[in-house]
Amino acid sequence: MNGYCGQALRINLTTKEIKIDKIADKLFEDYIGGRGLNMKRLYDEVPPEVDPLSEENKLFIGVGPLTGTPFPGAARVNFSAKSPQTGILGDSNTGGFFGPELKFAGFDQVIIEGKADELSYIYITDNRAEIRSAARLKEKDTFFTQEEIMRELADDRVQVASIGPAAENGVKYSGIFCNHVRAAARTGMGLVLASKNIKAIAVRGKQDLKAKSPAIFRETVDSMDQQIRNHQEYEVRMRLGTTKLIKALNDLGCLATKHFKTGRFNAAEKVSGEYLEQNYKKKGKGCFACTIPCSRFFEIEQGKHQGLKSEGPEFEGLAGFSSRVGIESIEDALKGVDLCNRYGLDVITTSECIALAMELFEEGRLTEEQTGGLKLNWGNAEVVLDLIEMIAFRRGFGDLLADGSLAAAARIDKTAKNLAMQVKGLEIFQADPRGIKGYALGLAVASRGGDHLRSEPWFEFVEDSELGIERFGVAESAFRLEYKGKGKVVKFYEERSALADCLDVCKNTVVNMEIISFAEAAVLLNALTDLEFTEEKIRQATERVVNLERAYLVREGIRREDDNLPQRFLNEPLPEECGPSTGSIVELEPMLDEYYQTRGWDLKTGIPSRDKLMSLGLEKIVNDLEKRKINLK
Amino acid sequence: MYDLRVEVEKVEGFCDLPMSPGDYFEVKGGKIILPDDGYICLWALQSMLPFLTVKQRKIDETNDWTPHTSRFTCPDPNGRVIFKIIQVDTVTGDILAQDQAKKIKPPARLIANEEKCTGCRACETICSFTHFESFNGEKARIKVIKNEAEGLDIPHVCHQCGDASCLKACPVNALSKDKETGAVLVNEEKCIGCMKCAEACPFDSISFIADREAPLICDLCKGEVECVKRCPVEAIQFGTAAELKAL
Repeated sequence: MNGYCGQALRINLTTKEIKIDKIADKLFEDYIGGRGLNMKRLYDEVPPEVDPLSEENKLFIGVGPLTGTPFPGAARVNFSAKSPQTGILGDSNTGGFFGPELKFAGFDQVIIEGKADELSYIYITDNRAEIRSAARLKEKDTFFTQEEIMRELADDRVQVASIGPAAENGVKYSGIFCNHVRAAARTGMGLVLASKNIKAIAVRGKQDLKAKSPAIFRETVDSMDQQIRNHQEYEVRMRLGTTKLIKALNDLGCLATKHFKTGRFNAAEKVSGEYLEQNYKKKGKGCFACTIPCSRFFEIEQGKHQGLKSEGPEFEGLAGFSSRVGIESIEDALKGVDLCNRYGLDVITTSECIALAMELFEEGRLTEEQTGGLKLNWGNAEVVLDLIEMIAFRRGFGDLLADGSLAAAARIDKTAKNLAMQVKGLEIFQADPRGIKGYALGLAVASRGGDHLRSEPWFEFVEDSELGIERFGVAESAFRLEYKGKGKVVKFYEERSALADCLDVCKNTVVNMEIISFAEAAVLLNALTDLEFTEEKIRQATERVVNLERAYLVREGIRREDDNLPQRFLNEPLPEECGPSTGSIVELEPMLDEYYQTRGWDLKTGIPSRDKLMSLGLEKIVNDLEKRKINLK
Repeated sequence: MYDLRVEVEKVEGFCDLPMSPGDYFEVKGGKIILPDDGYICLWALQSMLPFLTVKQRKIDETNDWTPHTSRFTCPDPNGRVIFKIIQVDTVTGDILAQDQAKKIKPPARLIANEEKCTGCRACETICSFTHFESFNGEKARIKVIKNEAEGLDIPHVCHQCGDASCLKACPVNALSKDKETGAVLVNEEKCIGCMKCAEACPFDSISFIADREAPLICDLCKGEVECVKRCPVEAIQFGTAAELKAL
């Protein structure tokens, strides 16, 4: 087969049965790959009765048709399961080199079921897999685990996805890490692996991966490359990657600062991507075959963190351990990110849990007695760094934070629930939704909880009313502080993001730079695969994925009232000091109305209409929901 | 073999021996012959002695620097007596004009810069695609060796060595060099798959894969070098070190 491998590897850890399932062409046509394929399996194979930490939960690892090809940024891989962090849809993806290697080993998807009787790792090679002991890797960090497995297999091209001690200790927001710092960190996919007694998955593939029409494929990829190089964002993304956002958001007055008390951080310059570049960056780093390598290798050469060298960080980590918790030293922030990477923790949720505790501590609602003597004042880096370890090993006060912000708030102070900066149990990132309303809506409706990467509606930064009218029929849609038109914008970008995740390519290019239209995607896939795609088929597939995910949430009991944001963003205007964002709040309800309307979902419940699901060919899902007495309009 | 005539070309300092411009001696076969009443400074002679035999040899190797060196300065720092070594045809006695020696034009070659390399392996993918239409870098003739802990990304490329170890190591002469590009060419008919070339390569740039007897050696794509074109950060370039430095 060209482009696709056409097969999934199914590993049952309980029965030790390993088999290869053929994947029907129709599944690729309907769901493209990666996230789409995973979501289809998740819906079909993990019903609402399943406890996320039970043997019945399954972990799906999916890659897309472009993964492993020279398409710029086609490096990604999706890990999906029912989430132990949110109790609903779990899905997280990462770049690096694991995804392409899986493809070279001959698989579009891996399905992990059951539970191993001892701590193990899975080794996947060409068309086969084995389960090996990982007993000696117990509670070892992610970096060591990956290196040790490469040593054991005596092959430095082996790619390893592993969990760290946080997952083994049951931290709800532990992730899966590849190439040291490449993290599929969200929704607790690491904990799912841990619950199956799996420490890591190693993969090495030596098989060919080919295109049906190599010349056309090459030509199309070259033209995408050219588009990227000509893009106005190209240069800054090469230099700073996502860390450019610290300064940019601070300038706009919506950088998450001190647990969203404000949108401006007085030390923003000193913790910015620009500062990192000037003082610590050694060189650029890239994921597999990327034309716009946006990652960086850095080293701290003196001071208390002397010798700390690593790749990264992304904006989420850097801001998480600086502005969000009030830390003014970039070196401390880098250390925080490094600890999370090694222990295998999600930087967004970890920093939110700590920031939440800090706000409560500063207000006197959390006492030193409760924290075990930790002085959780804004910017107390020493305590923050200690707490990361305490969370990973569930020690002392760390144990209280290890189940996420909602659980922590409930335990500290019953009235603090509203202060947990999360949606559907998933903590939101380090941009203040009040200053970016399309993102705010995106966070509220995202299928995996408070997540910015399900839509990334960057269009609202364009500030061009004519373009707003041209593209979304609403002038305001192009302005971040306006709420009108955002329903349409978010729908559009949810589908672009679904396209990126189903192809399993990077959102930097496909979403933020809008490289590759649906029509171009069809040309590309027709040149790559043996299947026939059209622009409309692909667009519909992305809409199908979003609706399937919504149906999954609906089946789990999610309704309109769950598409919500923390009260602070709805009621408390951004304070004086926030420059252009001063005074802003999120007008969520009208945005939700517009969004459901645009989606063809019921305004009152947020449930997709029967017609919508049927028009997307989701008849089986309609039947399933109706069987479960869920009323479809 | 050449005979030599070694002349004092000029005296830039003060030589109290003295050696004066125009003084000379000849080297014919294994003999040093001085003109009547002539002499040669002992210190100057000992410093250029090893080189005399080198200059007697006929060399036709573009990468050899010795044909392009013909002047020697006496080691006495005050004297600065400059000797010129002139090659003479043994049969005709004609002086070979030194300027006729081929100018060194180092051949263009692949030069990788690990400081710039981001480790993305786009080069591997495109190499494998160009030669086998497969995207898997397993079949690439360029390999990036990575170390995540240290942030190292080291592209291993064929250096198109002048005096190539792989050629010399091949027991069946299956390897040759492309006269024009300097690329190492593999005669797959002759190759017996003994892997001696890979062992001999000092740069770890030759590899073998399953189901293929012949080695994977960079052939410079028989034209435009694809990895150079594909690299997003110009970490692999094709040219001479001097040219690339000048960029």
